[in-house]
Amino acid sequence: MFTLTLVTPERRVIAGAEIEEVFVPGDRGELNFLPGHAPLMTTLRPGIVRYRLKGDSTVHRVAVSSGYAQVNGVGVNVLAETAETVDSLNPAEIDAALAEAEARLTAHDATVEELEEMTHKVEVARVHKELLSDSSAAH
Amino acid sequence: MPSLKDIRSRIDSTKNTQQITRAMKMVSAAKLRRAQQAIVNLRPYANTILSVIADVAATGVVSHPLLEPNENPQKLLVVVITSDRGLAGGFNSNVNKFADRLLKEVKGKYAKVDTIFIGRKGSDFFKRRGYQAVDSIINLAKDISYDYAAHMANRLMDDFNKGDYDEVRLVYNEFKSAISQEVVSETLLPIDATKASSLAKGEGGFSTDMIFEPAPEKIMDQLIAKHIIVQVYRCMAESVAAEHGARMTAMENATKNAGEMINILTLNYNKLRQAAITTELIEITSGAEALKG
Repeated sequence: MFTLTLVTPERRVIAGAEIEEVFVPGDRGELNFLPGHAPLMTTLRPGIVRYRLKGDSTVHRVAVSSGYAQVNGVGVNVLAETAETVDSLNPAEIDAALAEAEARLTAHDATVEELEEMTHKVEVARVHKELLSDSSAAH
Repeated sequence: MPSLKDIRSRIDSTKNTQQITRAMKMVSAAKLRRAQQAIVNLRPYANTILSVIADVAATGVVSHPLLEPNENPQKLLVVVITSDRGLAGGFNSNVNKFADRLLKEVKGKYAKVDTIFIGRKGSDFFKRRGYQAVDSIINLAKDISYDYAAHMANRLMDDFNKGDYDEVRLVYNEFKSAISQEVVSETLLPIDATKASSLAKGEGGFSTDMIFEPAPEKIMDQLIAKHIIVQVYRCMAESVAAEHGARMTAMENATKNAGEMINILTLNYNKLRQAAITTELIEITSGAEALKG
């Protein structure tokens, strides 16, 4: 039994689905968890969670912004701030968010916190773009 | 004996009331749907974050002041969550009664008991009973926001860390279903993580040797702060969903009662009208009889 649970404060994206393996964007680079992985706890950076359901070779992708991932004896828990699948993304909205964040980054009156927030937003938008281009290449 | 006109006007006013209660029911039903969605979606996150904390706590690598169980708490803070508006059946009075009982119960056991009231109904109720609240928050925005919960949670954590309190409890209506809600008292701080751990339950048979990236202290601080905010937010969201549910049920009953009332009044009205007509007819016929003689 090796399950994946992916939740955000807004919704439950994956509810304890049995999986073969999962890749998560960890704080220090991408991590690959297979059944029998040692217990681990990490923070997440913006990136794409990829997983394969048990007995299925299709790779599913979910873009996450930040949060935590934990491996225990029974599976993987991913606590993400936001999680988007290809279907829930809108290319026009991503471009708008990216443009807005980049515009704020070059503004002179921005505070340090704001710069950090905007950098994070740019990263998230880029990850969303990557998710869209990945899936269109696959088809 | 009321006149026909009196009954007529009572029927009209009952009809007006019924229209209002029906409209309120509709509004609550719509709000309930949204609130219910929010709480159903939030619960898995809140539960998962607690079980993650529990797992980490079970490894024994990190100790955190907010995780330390306290055998003999002396300074208690009770946060009571009610709503600003009434007409929601027993929603507010249930919480208030429960909290009142709780406060009386803990009075002797704790050296210091403080209260915070969220929502006008609770605040007013306890003001009348002479409780001095540390703070009461009324006129909440239409829907409680995550930012607001974060603000509240940070304040509770600060007070706890400063040593003002060594136990924080929340009293609120838990959303069970659209037609039922239950008053619960929940200990927010210190965090009781012993039950939620999958490691403690011995599942998977793994060692408690856990890898941390980055350092455990850093992760735990953030994770626990997040957990408290999410719990406060969840309790508020539960209360909001429960409030709309309670109001919907109350208004549905009121609409039904108004309908019954209108039926009874209409029946009386018709009876009275018939009686009046009969009396008139008798007068006419007896008048005619008298003329014949």
